Amino acid sequence: MIEPRPDVRLEDAPMQPVDCPSCGAQVTARKSSWDQTTVQWTSPALAQCLERRRAVEESDRPNRRAFPGCPALREAVREAAVRGILDVQSGEPLKTNPAQEAHP
Amino acid sequence: MTRNDEIRYIEVDAGPRRFARGWHCLGLARDLADGKPHQVAAFGQKLVVFAGADGGLNVLDAYCRHMGGDLSQGEVKGDEIACPFHDWRWGGDGRCKKIPYARRVPLRARTAAWPTMVQDGMLFVWNDPEGNAPPADVTIPRIPQVDDDRWTDWIWYETVIEGANCREIVDNVVDMAHFFYIHYSFPTYFKNVFEGTSAYQYMNGDGREDVRPATPSKNNPAVLGTTSVAAYHGPSFMIDEVTYHYEDLDVDTILINCHYPIDENSFVLQYGIIVEKKDGISDEDAELMAAKTGKFIKYGFEQDVAIWKSKARIDNPLLCEEDGPVYQLRRWYQQFYVDADAVTPEMTDRFEFEIDTTRPNEAWRAEVEQNLAARHG
Ligand code: FES
Ligand SMILES: [Fe+2]
Repeated sequence: MIEPRPDVRLEDAPMQPVDCPSCGAQVTARKSSWDQTTVQWTSPALAQCLERRRAVEESDRPNRRAFPGCPALREAVREAAVRGILDVQSGEPLKTNPAQEAHP
Repeated sequence: MTRNDEIRYIEVDAGPRRFARGWHCLGLARDLADGKPHQVAAFGQKLVVFAGADGGLNVLDAYCRHMGGDLSQGEVKGDEIACPFHDWRWGGDGRCKKIPYARRVPLRARTAAWPTMVQDGMLFVWNDPEGNAPPADVTIPRIPQVDDDRWTDWIWYETVIEGANCREIVDNVVDMAHFFYIHYSFPTYFKNVFEGTSAYQYMNGDGREDVRPATPSKNNPAVLGTTSVAAYHGPSFMIDEVTYHYEDLDVDTILINCHYPIDENSFVLQYGIIVEKKDGISDEDAELMAAKTGKFIKYGFEQDVAIWKSKARIDNPLLCEEDGPVYQLRRWYQQFYVDADAVTPEMTDRFEFEIDTTRPNEAWRAEVEQNLAARHG
């Protein structure tokens, strides 16, 4: 069998661990910029996720019955990036809130 | 030429020597269940699809086990397909039921029958190189809108792609930039999620002013934007729910984009579309809209095909940070090409990838401006 090849972009900047403060799930994540996010789950992490355990809203649409993602984890990844625990590859400063820019 | 370490070379792994495990859509049941045998070249073989008098659709290996006659050139007689060579009758279960000129059917008169499923108007066939039956939890989601009067009937297209492996079309699901360059859309949000046997793509887009009709009219209104949730369910069947946003209304559509391999280097691409008949839109207009959208998609695929025909297979694509997760998609896709017990967690574990569209959108906005200036210049 041919082994799946790793993403070339991980050569210089691999995935880094991030923990979810609400459920303790451990995932790995990567951010190439403030608005790009990669998250790799494992099945134990997914089993731990509280949001995941909640039933997805009923839908008669074929593609809307899937788990859209965990907002708590999303927040945790962002928080890790803000605190410098998770690298942001682009090196750009965190974008400030436009409202704050208007009223310094 | 000598090898230069400064140059990046394209690498090609040995292509898959087998065909993906999973449900493959062969087409609309209404087209295949007309009482005639249909020849289908798929999975490196020749198959015959036929509906017996009972109406059930069957898929058998096309070559008769008697003397090799081609059953797809035969005739449906009752519930069986009759071989054109000596009239042996084969049932949908693969067993020879009758030889009109013989006293009895010999032992082991059984040919390969493929598991089938008709769902939402489409015929699916289960391919498994290991010969196992489809597991109960490997399914295609139901599309209840197909049976709903408030939606149009299928408009369905089929096209044969020569000279490309079907992985090329699957790659599209993560390839954000090609949607701008090949499909004239303008992605502003793009996220992929892979989990289990499904691969999702969440994409929102703006309308392209440079490809819009210069003067939008009632029959040719300007698309202001699109919201799309698309997903491969298994290796070859994608459902794409697209909402088109117009000035004064939103129109919901459901697209199917599916394929089956003919062999390692060609495949049949099929796509279908149904459109919601919104209040205030006549049935006629909804059908027109479906036809028009179908044409637009057809055009898009033709552009893809032109690329596939001339491109190289590449197993070490060089990606920038604004590209989607090509490697992880292929890792997910590989689960369908290994034995069921060789599927590893990394192929099926949930994976999420959201692209930062800031920089692509800046570049594309500038390009659209240029195109508009050239149009008016
Ligand atoms: S080859 Fe089919 S009946 Fe003889
Ligand atoms: Fe494409």
